[in-house]
Amino acid sequence: MTDAGIPDSEHAEQVPPLSVSAATTLTDRIVDNVEEVIVGQHDAIEHILVATLARGHLLLEDVPGVGKTVLGRAVATSVDCSFKRVQFTPDLLPSDVTGVNVFNQKTREFEFRPGPVFANVVLGDEINRAPPKTQAALLEAMAEGQVTVDGETRRLPDPFTVIATQNDVEPGRTYDLPMAEVDRFMKKLRLGYPDEDAETRLLERVAGAHPIESLDPVATLDDLRGARQTVANVTLSEPVRRYVSRLAAYTREEAALGVSPRGAIALTRAAQARAVLNGREYVVPDDIQTEAPSVWSHRIDTDRPGRDVVDAALTTVTVE
Amino acid sequence: MSAEAADRSGLLPGSFAPDARLAALGSLAVLTAAYGSVLYHVTDVVGGSRLMLATLVGTATLAVATGRVLRVRTALLLAVLSLAGGFAVYFLSVPASQRALISPERLLSDTVALLTGLSVLRLTQANVWALSVAPTPVFLSWYLAVRRRYVPSVIVGGTVLAVLVLTGDAGLLTTLAGVVGAAAVVGFGTLDRHGGTATQVDTLVILLAVMVVAAATLSVVPATRTAPVLPDRGSPSGVTSLVDARDRVEVVGTIRLSPQVQFTVESQAESYWTTATYDRYTGTGWVRSGDTSPYEEPLSGPPGEGPAVQQTVTAETELGAMPAAWRPTTVTDIPASRVRVTPQGTLRPATTLDPGERYTVTSRLNRPSPDTLQAAGTDYPDAVVERYTQLPASTPDRVRERAATVADDAGAETPYETAVAFESYLESTKRYSLTVERPEGSVADAFLFEMDAGYCTYYATTMVTMLRAEGVPARFATGYTAGERVGADEWVVRGLDSHAWVQVYVPDEGWVRFDPTPAAPRQSAEQARLSDARRSDAGGVDTAETLNATPVPTPADDDSVVDATPTPAPAGGGNMPGNRAAPDAVADPVAASDAGGGPTLPSRETLALWGVVLVGVGAAVRRTGAGARAVRAVWLRRRGPRRDPDTDAVRAFERLAYLLEQQERPRRPGETPRAYVECVTSDDRARLVLRAYERARYGDGVDRETADAATDAVGELVRERTLPTRPFAR
Repeated sequence: MTDAGIPDSEHAEQVPPLSVSAATTLTDRIVDNVEEVIVGQHDAIEHILVATLARGHLLLEDVPGVGKTVLGRAVATSVDCSFKRVQFTPDLLPSDVTGVNVFNQKTREFEFRPGPVFANVVLGDEINRAPPKTQAALLEAMAEGQVTVDGETRRLPDPFTVIATQNDVEPGRTYDLPMAEVDRFMKKLRLGYPDEDAETRLLERVAGAHPIESLDPVATLDDLRGARQTVANVTLSEPVRRYVSRLAAYTREEAALGVSPRGAIALTRAAQARAVLNGREYVVPDDIQTEAPSVWSHRIDTDRPGRDVVDAALTTVTVE
Repeated sequence: MSAEAADRSGLLPGSFAPDARLAALGSLAVLTAAYGSVLYHVTDVVGGSRLMLATLVGTATLAVATGRVLRVRTALLLAVLSLAGGFAVYFLSVPASQRALISPERLLSDTVALLTGLSVLRLTQANVWALSVAPTPVFLSWYLAVRRRYVPSVIVGGTVLAVLVLTGDAGLLTTLAGVVGAAAVVGFGTLDRHGGTATQVDTLVILLAVMVVAAATLSVVPATRTAPVLPDRGSPSGVTSLVDARDRVEVVGTIRLSPQVQFTVESQAESYWTTATYDRYTGTGWVRSGDTSPYEEPLSGPPGEGPAVQQTVTAETELGAMPAAWRPTTVTDIPASRVRVTPQGTLRPATTLDPGERYTVTSRLNRPSPDTLQAAGTDYPDAVVERYTQLPASTPDRVRERAATVADDAGAETPYETAVAFESYLESTKRYSLTVERPEGSVADAFLFEMDAGYCTYYATTMVTMLRAEGVPARFATGYTAGERVGADEWVVRGLDSHAWVQVYVPDEGWVRFDPTPAAPRQSAEQARLSDARRSDAGGVDTAETLNATPVPTPADDDSVVDATPTPAPAGGGNMPGNRAAPDAVADPVAASDAGGGPTLPSRETLALWGVVLVGVGAAVRRTGAGARAVRAVWLRRRGPRRDPDTDAVRAFERLAYLLEQQERPRRPGETPRAYVECVTSDDRARLVLRAYERARYGDGVDRETADAATDAVGELVRERTLPTRPFAR
């Protein structure tokens, strides 16, 4: 875990893509490594990796204490990148997130003191407790990959992944994210409680020193950047694209607010990353079906759970 | 109508409704044609067929045209009025003498008679009846169908058909066509009104085909008048015999003569024993028109001065006829109430005569000399001309032409010469045989131009037709030849003596007998049959007299005189009760077992039946998807031509998927290929095919090697999994 200043993002694009098999090996390694620490959340770990590889962000909606922070830290540690955590509170200001310019008495100049958003993995805890203006600051950073402080635009490190959590325990004292902003998260997950076996093993692991302290990186940032290049090159064939369009059309017919084109794009990106995780250089309908629930459920607004609409679409729309 | 169809197709899902409507109306056309053809046949026989055709088509068109405009109540009123008007016309057309007879009881009994098998053709004015009855049901059924009231429409049409079936005028094929048409109207009509799927149409078509095939091949219902369409060769079919003839005679094919003794006659003179005469020729048979009346003696004898002959007839078996020499004048020794008299002057018993029962008849023979006949002239009464020169309108012209040619060649100038010419023409050009194939259509036409052999019915029918074509009044008579002479004035008459001949009307002389059947071959056929029967010890063949007194069966004598002479041997007028011989009486013709003889083309009925079977099977195949499955089964086993690797890989997977769908379960719509394959099989070859498919379809394509490997793997799986033993190996 490095906490060193502002990571250099300039040379990110020059990293050559990894081969699919190399990328798959890399992701397997990362997943295994994280599982050293986190028990019973294999799927969640994969979802986080997919979001990272697909340049997306995650929204976790859960009760406190199921391991959200540890999960984020473990992923960050495994790829040897920076991790920051922001606890959102009602009095948190946007500058508390992005950073501020501070006048340096010695140099007689303003110098930028970066906020917690300047990290490869940012955990925004209980984002719905902060006022909308502060939420917007984070959301802008997520969407643009940059922040603007006092008129000066600064690029965020690459890769940059936000894992935001929402607390749904005390709904009275929160500012719920509007649909338009929820739409900016690639995925929304619910970790849930571990099952009996997993919890038993978890308790055993944490009996002595917490294993997160001894977790070693298994990949470099450049590896990760290369894998992201690989994902971008994954084939998305016409039948699969048509399948996604039909699914989206189905949700638009069935729900008051269906999946936007942005949602459809997000799904294809996630599916590309999923294909790499599964060792393929092309997307198959199965990848779409795996990703659709976590990518689309929170984008559908209707009187029944969005997940139901997605499931109905998956069973109804014919795979060709 | 088409505009309406278009409207509805817009309302209903799919373009189905117009088809069902068309099918329903087409079926109604079949039903209408079924009873229409019967009515048309009536007018064809009696006259007025063109008017009938115009009436049928005209009323149907009128009904379709006014169907949308006319209100139901108005239409019903019109129909009732038209029916009443029709009956009024019929009533007025009946001759005044008969009209006087009409009373409520008479109407009732006539109706009952009609509904229990009395042919419409026996009505005196059958054509007027048909013409007056036809328009109402045609109009009403089409009117209702146009208004989508299919069931009432079928009830109207079906009632007419049912009446015609009950009168015995609608044959098997007509009835079948009508019933199937009616069922189809209801079926398609329901689909039209409530919407339907292609599957339901298929089911309906299968059902209709089954109806046709079952009805045509099974004759479960006993005593159907007509034989099944497919004759059950080798077993006796219920053909009507000559003397079993009640009110009509159908000309049949091969017959066998019964050697049973029917009755014995003690008579002062030898004669033909007449049982019935028939006036109306239908083209395929004969019908006697008019009703019988009670016996009131004395009956009018023939106009001439013929001698009176007394005969005593003893029934030896149940006898449905009262044979007598032409022409009977008085009947004694039997209650008068048991004797009925036909309008033609023959006798019939009110109920069947029992064995041993006897009656005495006095007849006045009319055997005018040739000179008398030659000089008789042509001064026929109008009524005779009208009734006895009537031929079916469908009689081919070549029959008339041939009749004219034969008469001209013989130089015939008088009716007598004409009759003699026809008689000798038939005797010399046709061979006598009991084994014949029943011709299609007109019997006379077939016998003249297509057949080279036949028996008395054919000879007599043809001769009457030719005479009528030449304008000579003639009719068809049935009865018995004299029989075996066993004493000075006693004859034994067997079934094999039954016969048919011709009666020609001669002014001032009455009905004079002509017999165009060559006598010698007929007698030898009868004798052979008798010998056969005696050899096989059949019962009832002989009486005490024939056994004792017949070293020589003295056959030919009287008949040969009558027949062999080209002169018309106008023999004694037999008077004969002619109705209803006992079932096994006289010449009951039993179909010979070797009727077919050699390979013959299937008849039109058979071909039509097979056509129906094919339609039904076709619908069933479509209904069950068997056809598509068969194609797919072949396709599954074929490797197919090589194309580019991607296509081959896709095809390999399609074969795999089809195989799995057949053997495991169908793939659900939302199920990906991978999920499906992994769910139903764990075979590595299936996975290999799946991977090749995914790469070809979703990825960057496959190389030749992969595609071939996939094709091979599928071939292997198909062979392995479609082994015939597989169901047992599982």
